[in-house]
Amino acid sequence: MSLTNPYLPRQVTVNAVKNESLETKTLRLKLQNWSMSFVPGQFVQLLLPGVGEAPFCIASSPSDQRHIEITIMRRGMLTNAAHYLRPGDALGVRGPLGRPFPIDQFEGKDLLIIATGIGIAALKSLIEHVVGNRSKYGEVTLLYGARFPEDLVYREDMKHWSSSIKIIVTLSKATPEWQGLRGRVTDHLHEINLKDDMNIAICGSPTVMASIVQSLSLLGINKERIFVSLERHMKCGIGKCARCLIAGGKMVCKDGPVFKASEISLEAIGE
Amino acid sequence: MYDLSEEDLQKIPAILQGLGYEVIAPLKFNQAVKLAPINADSKIELDYIRLMNSPRDFLLPNRETLFKYRSTATITSYGLKIRFPTVEGPCPAGISPEYSSQKKKLAFFGIHPCIANSIRYLDRVMLSDPPDPYYSDRRKDMFLAVLECDEGDEYCLCKTLGSYKVAKGYADILMRKSGNRYIAKPMTPLGETVLKQVGKEISGDYPKIVPRMKKEYEITNADESSIDSKDASETVKSCTLCCACTVTCPTCYCNDIEDRFSLVDPSNVERARTRMSCQRRCYSMIAGGTTFLKSKEDRFKWRLKHKFPFSINSFRLVGCVGCGSCIANCPARIDFRDHIARSVD
Repeated sequence: MSLTNPYLPRQVTVNAVKNESLETKTLRLKLQNWSMSFVPGQFVQLLLPGVGEAPFCIASSPSDQRHIEITIMRRGMLTNAAHYLRPGDALGVRGPLGRPFPIDQFEGKDLLIIATGIGIAALKSLIEHVVGNRSKYGEVTLLYGARFPEDLVYREDMKHWSSSIKIIVTLSKATPEWQGLRGRVTDHLHEINLKDDMNIAICGSPTVMASIVQSLSLLGINKERIFVSLERHMKCGIGKCARCLIAGGKMVCKDGPVFKASEISLEAIGE
Repeated sequence: MYDLSEEDLQKIPAILQGLGYEVIAPLKFNQAVKLAPINADSKIELDYIRLMNSPRDFLLPNRETLFKYRSTATITSYGLKIRFPTVEGPCPAGISPEYSSQKKKLAFFGIHPCIANSIRYLDRVMLSDPPDPYYSDRRKDMFLAVLECDEGDEYCLCKTLGSYKVAKGYADILMRKSGNRYIAKPMTPLGETVLKQVGKEISGDYPKIVPRMKKEYEITNADESSIDSKDASETVKSCTLCCACTVTCPTCYCNDIEDRFSLVDPSNVERARTRMSCQRRCYSMIAGGTTFLKSKEDRFKWRLKHKFPFSINSFRLVGCVGCGSCIANCPARIDFRDHIARSVD
């Protein structure tokens, strides 16, 4: 057969494992003798030999094509197994897959990045890209919500980012000693200088994303400028398994994972 | 046009076998008729209304190995949880792209037009960019001998959906019963070669007949909002979640890809594609247990939405070919026509 097989993964090795929080680890993967050029927002299918395959957003700067980083929260069978990985372990990767953030369209304008929980992993690549090309963008704000202080990830990266972008962190279940903001991200939207031509990138849990989109449209933001990154358990990544169909008949793997809020219904974003 | 007796018709599979095809035809097993590969003494059943399975089971077989590889993942003593610390060596690099071309080309003999049209739908899905290599390998050089029906039963819906006519390119031979004999029309040069060997060429036009239906319907509410807004809680109350509707549907293609290995030798891993039904809760479950299609009603509507509005949006083709399998095989007698169609008399 002359057809290339889109189901075959390529080899990567674990270069470093970093603990981000109690339940979260970041794997730095070295691509063995190949390179990957991707755009923020795209994802890969990560194969853990003997366990299975699952989609993860790339959480590293697109400028490094020899390494990718993936942040994994312990949730199911595969993510649990991924937490046992050590440097040197061999894995498989298929990708990059999916439609990315329209970063060219973001240039020259203000950008608001809203992340809740582990959703920040899907936006880290975009943040790294913006920080690396800071002069191309207007005012950039990261609004990051989590539940407990222990859930906050990328603490070291945040210190590095805070010199070039504005970061607002809010906790919905803050402990008494927490000094920063409290409440959900939707409670702090009014503190941001929302502009008409501003682009907004969102990733978080389905219900939260739906409520953020709803609040933003109530504040008069055009849905054409809101971009959400959705999650489904994609199996093939190329539109053949229909596991990632969302209301409206779009496929998250091919038509997404990044969608304009105007393209899909609130029902497709939320649960 | 050719004129054939039933004996002549039964000779066609042998001719196709001689041309190097693996012939799959409807055979009777106890009371049911299902498609199966034939051998020298199998008697092909031509007087049937509905099949238990469909060409999909041969083009996209359940539990198909995509590739195999070696891993050194181990199984711990606590349950069957897989611990993962000892992956060594070139794991995915050792993958052998184990899909050699199939030895024989496939030929389907005696399928009805609705079932032939289901292959057209699968083609749209599987051969759209990027094409699925496993499907396109099996699909290549396929031969289709389609037997048109005169009459449907109470579950048939092909007249409403227009799938009683075979789409262009999805038949090599068109056959139809005419009295005690059969008439056949070749649609491709290969079909002509085969028919010349068994039949007598006669003049006349191949008749265009719309099959008679016991009940007639018109599809009224097949757009997304009307499927969603109509209450189906009463319809799905008796659903037993057996998934027979999606198992027997000739166009259901949703699948799951998973790693399988023997507990005796866990180092040999097989990456297999199995079928998945949208009627199961795990179909829409993501990490952490969030499920998008929570209730039976949601999933019943999801199946209809996938067949009608979603398929029209993505493939410009209705995903339902009106074979009626999902209604006929439902143990709870759930009829999707109640939800989206109206009977016309």
